[in-house]
Amino acid sequence: MFVIPAIDIKDGKCVRLFQGDYSQVTTYDDDPVKIASEFEQQGAELIHIVDLDGAKARAPVNKRAILKLAKSVNVSLEVGGGIRTYEAASEYLQKGIQRILLGTAAIENPKLIQRLITEFGDDRIVVAVDIKNGEFATDGWTKSGGKSVKDSITLLKQLGIKNVLVTDVSKDGVLGGPNFALTQQLIDAGFQTIGAGGVTTIDDCVEFNKRGAYGAVVGKALYENKLDFTTAQAAVASRNLLAKRIIPCLDVKDGKVVKGTNFTNLRVVGDPVELAKKYAESGADELVFLDIAATLEDRKTLAQVVRRIAEVIAIPFSVGGGISSLDDIRELLIAGADKASIGSAAVLQPDFVQQAVEYFGSQCIVISVDAKKRADSWQVYIKGGTEATGVDAIDFCRHMEKLGVGELLINSLDRDGMNTGFDIDLLQAVTAAVNIPVIASSGGGAKQDFLDVFKNTNVDAALGASIFHYKNVAPTDLKAHLAKKGIGVRI
Amino acid sequence: MIAVIDYKAGNIGSVKNALERLGVKYVVTSDAKQIRAADGVIFPGQGRAGPAMKELQAMGLDNLIPDLEQPFLGICLGMQLLAEVSAEDNTVCLAIIPGTCRQFPRGMKLPQLGWNKVNFQQESPLTRGIKSEEYFYFLNSYYFDAGPASVIGVTDYGLSFPSIVQKDNFFAVQFHPEKSGKAGEQLLRNFCEVSQCL
Repeated sequence: MFVIPAIDIKDGKCVRLFQGDYSQVTTYDDDPVKIASEFEQQGAELIHIVDLDGAKARAPVNKRAILKLAKSVNVSLEVGGGIRTYEAASEYLQKGIQRILLGTAAIENPKLIQRLITEFGDDRIVVAVDIKNGEFATDGWTKSGGKSVKDSITLLKQLGIKNVLVTDVSKDGVLGGPNFALTQQLIDAGFQTIGAGGVTTIDDCVEFNKRGAYGAVVGKALYENKLDFTTAQAAVASRNLLAKRIIPCLDVKDGKVVKGTNFTNLRVVGDPVELAKKYAESGADELVFLDIAATLEDRKTLAQVVRRIAEVIAIPFSVGGGISSLDDIRELLIAGADKASIGSAAVLQPDFVQQAVEYFGSQCIVISVDAKKRADSWQVYIKGGTEATGVDAIDFCRHMEKLGVGELLINSLDRDGMNTGFDIDLLQAVTAAVNIPVIASSGGGAKQDFLDVFKNTNVDAALGASIFHYKNVAPTDLKAHLAKKGIGVRI
Repeated sequence: MIAVIDYKAGNIGSVKNALERLGVKYVVTSDAKQIRAADGVIFPGQGRAGPAMKELQAMGLDNLIPDLEQPFLGICLGMQLLAEVSAEDNTVCLAIIPGTCRQFPRGMKLPQLGWNKVNFQQESPLTRGIKSEEYFYFLNSYYFDAGPASVIGVTDYGLSFPSIVQKDNFFAVQFHPEKSGKAGEQLLRNFCEVSQCL
């Protein structure tokens, strides 16, 4: 969650009002740029700016000061106050303001909101839900709009609004604590919600975080040194302490584990059940089995193998290779697999992916992407890396995330079986594009390769084959090495 | 004898396999008599809270479970259903342990999928022989914000959340002990011992 410092501007100066009353003004600094720079230095990622004169005048008044501010700091700004026309809104959005806040305009001019969402995207349009005595307040909080909170929610849903900022006006500038229940109403309605008004203590921020808020706007408490920004942000920062997973991969053909280079020159490595047991007991966090022949005959053998593996290991494992129907997945899950990994079929039949997610749940569906560098981008290949599709790999990953898949397994055809290290550029591009777990695959031949991929990319797991099968590096040896170098692994 | 409650919520194969490996006698059932007669009850679960509660109601298990007096272990969704309410599908749950199920904070990768640490807050027979800060395998998008009195262990994912709870004979874990390697096996062994099945 973001802790969002507020800068309210009146007559070009940084001020705070008491309960939205324009006659009760405290001036904190003549120069908003100075204040914003201080917040930037403290690590703010988003600053909330309100043109108080603009809110009252129904048109931006301190626009020059705000645009100057946008040029002076390197932080995203969210600006509100008097934005009621397409011209006012689009000028801000085109001149360096990340998000704009619309209040009164949302109620009075739904067409404007819809036009802005279409042109600029729903992430850049925030509706300020200002509630005074249980009703939607307008005109710089001086009037009540006569709409209840419930009616406002219905209206905003109809407009396709994704982001809201909710303020209980009676709590603002009072330092008496926020109205959590009100914020919760908006969160529960499915909005990405920022809470504001009366945020005073670290506990207030923690409570907003706990309730699923996107952010909390803090004003007076920061100016009066009642709350330290850095401490508050640290208390609610996204802390993902999941261990980085090490996953031995076993390519299976005719019931045996095999390994080859670039999907050819296969050699038999051993019995899958014995290897599964060995790896599970020597520190593997998860296992992947790929049926590389993927014939009908082979699939029957595979289900039996999966059943036997499930009996002996107590860690999760996925199975893939030629999966192209819900029945294929069902059979593997019943046999005891935790996840099914879909390859070519995901490219050829995206509808199938969607059905699989709906039927078995996101957590069961992994998409295995074979990518190969082509000029400046990566292309998706299918059928064991033999057929180019013309589909951009990064776009494809984004699309899979949208369909609700649980995880992506990224194979680099340029690195497969080469033991020359993971494809860092590819993995950086994928992890930047999606917010679901990503497993790095292809190229991990030495401990250093695994260290490099965790240090230089945001992947959640890394998969290896020959390092475990031939080099006698046990997963636990590899993890001890990673732990020594500061990577969080399960030891 | 351990009764593993079968209410069509997810795959219980891995729980069965784990009990097989421990050499514990068990029965997979939705029969009230068998559940009542068992020495210990395991309540697994995957999937969504709404449909799972409907299934329990259809089977009449929503009234049975709160009255059970033998050791009881909820796993994953089986933990969340012990809450009063869940934000997932706005579901009224079994209300065995005070608290609410909430979604993880925005910005976190969902579901939480992988190995995370459990930090012990109180002693419990369920965690005997397991060290604090041990890793367990998690797979969840919601967490049970249980009252502090019942919290045995907590885990950090965007915020600190209860990952092991206990109230009287009702134990529950957010992670999957049946998929958590040796530590998970120890926890299941402890539960079977508490149930006097081992």
